[in-house]
Amino acid sequence: MFSTTSGKFFGSLMLFLSVLLVVSPQVVLGAEAVPAESMVWWVWVLLLFVFSFFLGIVAIVAGVGGGVLYVPIVSSLFPFHLDFVRGAGLMVALAGALSAGSPLLKKGLAHLKLALSMALIGSVSSIFGALVGLALPAHIIQLALGCTIVFIAIVMLRARKSEFPEVTASDKLSQVLHIQGIYYEESLKKDIDWKIHRTPVGLVLFVVIGFMAGMFGLGAGWANVPVFNLVLGAPLKVSVATSVFVLSINDTAAAWVYLHKGAVLPLIAVPSIAGMMLGTKIGAKLLTKVRTKSVRVIVITLLLLAGVRAIFKGFGI
Amino acid sequence: MNNNHAHPNNAQLVYAHVLHWVSTLGIVLVVFGFAVYVFELLPLSVSIDDIAGNWHRSAAELNHQFHLPTGWAWVSDILKGDVLSFASVAYLAAATIVCLVAVTGVFFNEKNVIYSIISILQILVLVFAASGVIGSGH
Repeated sequence: MFSTTSGKFFGSLMLFLSVLLVVSPQVVLGAEAVPAESMVWWVWVLLLFVFSFFLGIVAIVAGVGGGVLYVPIVSSLFPFHLDFVRGAGLMVALAGALSAGSPLLKKGLAHLKLALSMALIGSVSSIFGALVGLALPAHIIQLALGCTIVFIAIVMLRARKSEFPEVTASDKLSQVLHIQGIYYEESLKKDIDWKIHRTPVGLVLFVVIGFMAGMFGLGAGWANVPVFNLVLGAPLKVSVATSVFVLSINDTAAAWVYLHKGAVLPLIAVPSIAGMMLGTKIGAKLLTKVRTKSVRVIVITLLLLAGVRAIFKGFGI
Repeated sequence: MNNNHAHPNNAQLVYAHVLHWVSTLGIVLVVFGFAVYVFELLPLSVSIDDIAGNWHRSAAELNHQFHLPTGWAWVSDILKGDVLSFASVAYLAAATIVCLVAVTGVFFNEKNVIYSIISILQILVLVFAASGVIGSGH
């Protein structure tokens, strides 16, 4: 599966993460409430930083957002309450989107008008999602999170991708909103014209995506990209880049709710942000050295394990 | 407005430019604020040991136990290390609003009515969330 030294390192890393999730976290890290005196705080913070760093590498190599891996796995392995993990997860996804947004916009891959049109409605629903998520009991959220993560893993496993979807005619709403464009496709050395269709369906789906992102503190790239690409018909690269941009707006709305509810602890959020951002930079360099398809399969397996574990925790098992 | 060229339009470039500076400053502030917090360069409103000893509790329980301010009430304690670090994280959540304000000016200048309205509505949604009207309190 892995052909180079860095590939072997990566394989070991994935195996380590899997073992952590399968073996009882109480034994490995102490996922349940751990008395503060049993381990000094900075050890947890350092562990979280290192863990987020590796998670950042895995996320970028597997082509998934950091947030979707962060929340289920960190809530399984660390002693933090789910409120703070979701708050940190939102900030991790937001920080990543903010730092990636500028170059994507400058290259013309992220499309401002497409993003603004979808984010407006998605940001409203993400506020409601955050409010509902912080109001419900933790075991209900664990259960719903587990089911959602398993669903995401299945979507990732089954979702097709279309590099350049065929859109024969743009719909009325996208014409009114002037959502169309041209971008330069490096691999083909030519400009690609694109337009979208089924805009009203896309808007409805972004309501649902925004709600789930706010409720669980997940980045929503896993859902944004298929909707842009397969439902609206935007080219894959435009879909991925615009998804990052939409995420920065939707997560901003939900993040404020978490901030105001006191669900963002700098002690948890900052090491996670720093670790994840460093990890994604290293991961980008590893991209050419590992087989991303194989890594993606392992990440989906990790998600399934984390999802099942969250379901068990939801049932108090 | 012309979309039909391979280069990003003016509004997009303005957004990208502002986002670059706002996000770079954000990362610097977050690192600076965290260093002030964990090295206790300023007094803390709640000790790190107390937070670490209770981070397995829900946000509502933790806030209640330490009488932590919700909404914008933390601003009055900005010279405390933990609050400064919190403020630097909150800055990240304000970054998008700054970018949207900048791009709304471009849409206005271009007399782009639809996107002027959309971006103003988007700013209102985010400012509403940031205001704490719906989020603060338990």
